[in-house]
Amino acid sequence: MILADLSSRDLTRTLADGGLRLRTGPVVSRIRSGLPGVAHGIGLHYADHTVEGADGFADFDVRIAPPRSTRRWIRPQVYFYFEGASPFLPLPANQAFAMLEWGLNWCVSKHCHQYLIVHSAAVERGGSALLFPGEPGAGKSTLCAGLVSRGWRLLSDELTLLDLATGAVVAMPRPISLKNESIGAIGRFAPRATLGPPVHDTVKGSVAHMKAPADSVRRASEVARPRWVVLPHFERGAAPHLAPLSRARAFMHLADHAFNYDVHGRRGFELLAEVISGTDCFEFRYGALEDAVAVFDDLARRA
Amino acid sequence: MDHDAIVWREWDGEFVVRNERTGSTHLLGPLAGAVLQVILGADRTLSSAEIISGLRDQAALDTADPETEIEAVLSEFQRLGLVDSERR
Repeated sequence: MILADLSSRDLTRTLADGGLRLRTGPVVSRIRSGLPGVAHGIGLHYADHTVEGADGFADFDVRIAPPRSTRRWIRPQVYFYFEGASPFLPLPANQAFAMLEWGLNWCVSKHCHQYLIVHSAAVERGGSALLFPGEPGAGKSTLCAGLVSRGWRLLSDELTLLDLATGAVVAMPRPISLKNESIGAIGRFAPRATLGPPVHDTVKGSVAHMKAPADSVRRASEVARPRWVVLPHFERGAAPHLAPLSRARAFMHLADHAFNYDVHGRRGFELLAEVISGTDCFEFRYGALEDAVAVFDDLARRA
Repeated sequence: MDHDAIVWREWDGEFVVRNERTGSTHLLGPLAGAVLQVILGADRTLSSAEIISGLRDQAALDTADPETEIEAVLSEFQRLGLVDSERR
């Protein structure tokens, strides 16, 4: 069943009691929380995702909950618990859903070493994957949200999973994390996209999540072959410019942005080399989403 | 140098090199990459003069002051743990 098959009441009860076993690509997370904001965020953003049975296996056991102290009432906070431990400092209660998202990212990046995990957005068209590794603020999530609003398939917004055996990108479609000005930009660019309410004053500024397109979630079992690696750079008012990037430099960039490159040693090196050998690599400066989508649509057409 | 500890790839004259002994990966330009190839292609320790000769054989040397440049590359290799000091 998918999450939309659950009534709001059943979702709230499942989260508060035994936990919701939510599948996101190859990963199943058991999520527990009695917080209405978490239930609302999950109901809004994961409606198309598969819910596994109550007795099924879960890779991660996570919980979002308030402390037992008076902070429950005074300027309330919430903790993220993983297997019963809280690896992070608490956050204000209105950031509960964002904290769940960040916590799930942490779970994957710290534990899913069956993949080489790159801090990168990834989208797909025609079986070919376009990777956007980049620093925070480079515009990769904005580009990702813009492209999936115009027919590209979302593979991942934050964590690109590379299969160690094949080098293929394994899809893990989840909400796209938009920050600050990109929230309004995507709201204007894709008015039919489902955006959650913005949360202000987080460590990343204002944050809002965009629901992954239903088609991307349905096709999560389809892998994609890395075809392009693009380092984005948003610059207000800039004309779109796609400049070739040498493969060796793109390799170093992917290695620098991989969470577990060192874990895999020589195999990690060889895998990235295989990936880079099969891709065209670019740096991309842009100032408008419409322009960016046209550039990548053209790239895909010529592939 | 432990040749088995070095794994590398080259694209369009630029190289990436992984050193198994340190776990580090490095980006090398054309000259440094060519020096590494000469060293890895030898079955014994080479002098700087022999490395320069090897580069000339490969037509990989296009510099007015090869000795100084090769010494700089080798010093950097030493700092990165790609070659041992016994080479010198």
